[in-house]
Amino acid sequence: MIPIELFILLSAMLFSVGLIGMLTKKNAIVILMCIEIMLNAANINFIAFAATYPAAPLAHIFVITAITVAAAEVGVGIAILLHAYKTRKTTNIDELTSLRW
Amino acid sequence: MVSFDITAFIDYVKPIAPHLILIVAALLAPAIGSRSEKMTAVFMTLAALSAIGVTAYMMYDGYTGTFAGMYSFNDFAGLMALLFLTVLSITSLMSVPGTERRRRNGEYFSLLAIATVGMMLVCSADELISLFIGIELASIMSFALVAMKKNDPRSSEAAVKYLITGGLSTALFIYGMSLIYGLTGTLNISGIIDHLAAADVTWSYMIATVTLLAGFGFKIGMVPFHAWVPDVYDGAPTPVTTFLAIGSKKMGFVVFFKIFLMLFMASHLITGTTHQLQWVFAILAAITMTVGNIVAVSQTSVKRMLAYSSIAQAGYILIVLPVATDYAMMGGLFYMIAHVFMKGGAFVVVAALAARGVGENISDYRGLSKRAPLLAFAMLLFLFSLAGIPPLVGFDAKFILFSSALEGGTWTWLVAVAVINSAISLYYYAKVVKAMYVDKGTTKDRLKIHFSFKVAVAVCAVAVVVIGVFPGPIIDLCGLGADAFLHP
Repeated sequence: MIPIELFILLSAMLFSVGLIGMLTKKNAIVILMCIEIMLNAANINFIAFAATYPAAPLAHIFVITAITVAAAEVGVGIAILLHAYKTRKTTNIDELTSLRW
Repeated sequence: MVSFDITAFIDYVKPIAPHLILIVAALLAPAIGSRSEKMTAVFMTLAALSAIGVTAYMMYDGYTGTFAGMYSFNDFAGLMALLFLTVLSITSLMSVPGTERRRRNGEYFSLLAIATVGMMLVCSADELISLFIGIELASIMSFALVAMKKNDPRSSEAAVKYLITGGLSTALFIYGMSLIYGLTGTLNISGIIDHLAAADVTWSYMIATVTLLAGFGFKIGMVPFHAWVPDVYDGAPTPVTTFLAIGSKKMGFVVFFKIFLMLFMASHLITGTTHQLQWVFAILAAITMTVGNIVAVSQTSVKRMLAYSSIAQAGYILIVLPVATDYAMMGGLFYMIAHVFMKGGAFVVVAALAARGVGENISDYRGLSKRAPLLAFAMLLFLFSLAGIPPLVGFDAKFILFSSALEGGTWTWLVAVAVINSAISLYYYAKVVKAMYVDKGTTKDRLKIHFSFKVAVAVCAVAVVVIGVFPGPIIDLCGLGADAFLHP
């Protein structure tokens, strides 16, 4: 059996990749993809831990719920980005600067 | 032949009855919205009021129950449901046509109702899956609501910013939840409390705490996770801003209380020692209120100033977490209820003026006491209440919350910071009052305010004064809610 530490390491790496991408990328669609990578890191964690606690399939329920919710979030997110592109002609977050203190 | 027992069915769904009313209303709203938008606003307000009636009756009845082992109805869930339904009715009232949105869109009211359902689900959630669903239901609807101002680049920019911060916050707290599951093997909140009480502070415990703190910190606009608040509040349509400021933020606090007050502190409160996290929260509360108030001083737009002041108010409510007593929890609930009426009222006034072409800058409010005397007076009440001037409700709320922090003597410095902050806040609220009452305006034309705005302002103003003078019944209700929350 593969030790659980490897799975947690994988998910931590995925989470870091997503977080770094989110902080450095400029295109809003790429940022949305980075958020998805971070959500999947959490899902991997859940499934890895589920092997340790086989009593109830709680984690599996959580993961399926999380995937569904993430799909809804991306749906709304892409719609908002399309709307932003229509009104502003850009999805580059560095150019979205009309709201400033 | 399948028999269908109607009374058994009603008993089964009773804990989520208020939610069901709103879901049905949300499904019907687009159908009505295709006829007349005014009718949809009235319809949604009535739906919210009937849900308020049902919830109030269930609370009066002393009803408690659970639904599917995931949601439970008790005094706390009922009280918060009443709060969110009040938010929904105020928001629906101020969303009349001819203001900031275009076209006949019943879906706007559907989104509002579903977001409210999400917030109510958070309050009655017993475990992390239902908590997660509730949070996401509320936030995904809010993303769409922020973008509702058609053809306005500022609105869509605010929506993009809200989407990105919201997504990041989701990713952070779901990662924290996965680690919590790994540590405890259960998703039930009371089960997690039992497990974590015995757990040592390990690396995974620390990472879980930090990611949960950051994830939910975004939701309540806690410094240093507050940067999105002024941008989104400024760019969104004013009714939606109101909804986010007085609704969404309260949901964030409920989650904060559920996760941190219960998960990390409950065990330590029994033994009577101070948890290190209480110090973290005390420092975060002090920083949040100070940053919010100091930046608010330099604002020229009323909407943006109210956004920063709502960061500061979040700092005050955060005092509940370090103090962590029944009395403080009661004060926190009372503060949240007070905040609905005073901040909500102030935003309704901004929306009512914007609907008549008055700008959102403080300089546009000059001479308002001549143009709309009653509205200006209501704004004065709301602002003074936010600053904490007696006999308005803001004073009672601050008094209870701050005096709870003085018990025991550990958090006296936090109260000192909070009181100094209240003094700073009086300065920028008084700037608006000065513009309205002392400065001379360019015109003396009377403003005709739409009827539904008048109703919303009147409700908020009456609540601010009446609860301020007779806080007794509401305090009792908050005491019951705090008791049901901390001692389930």
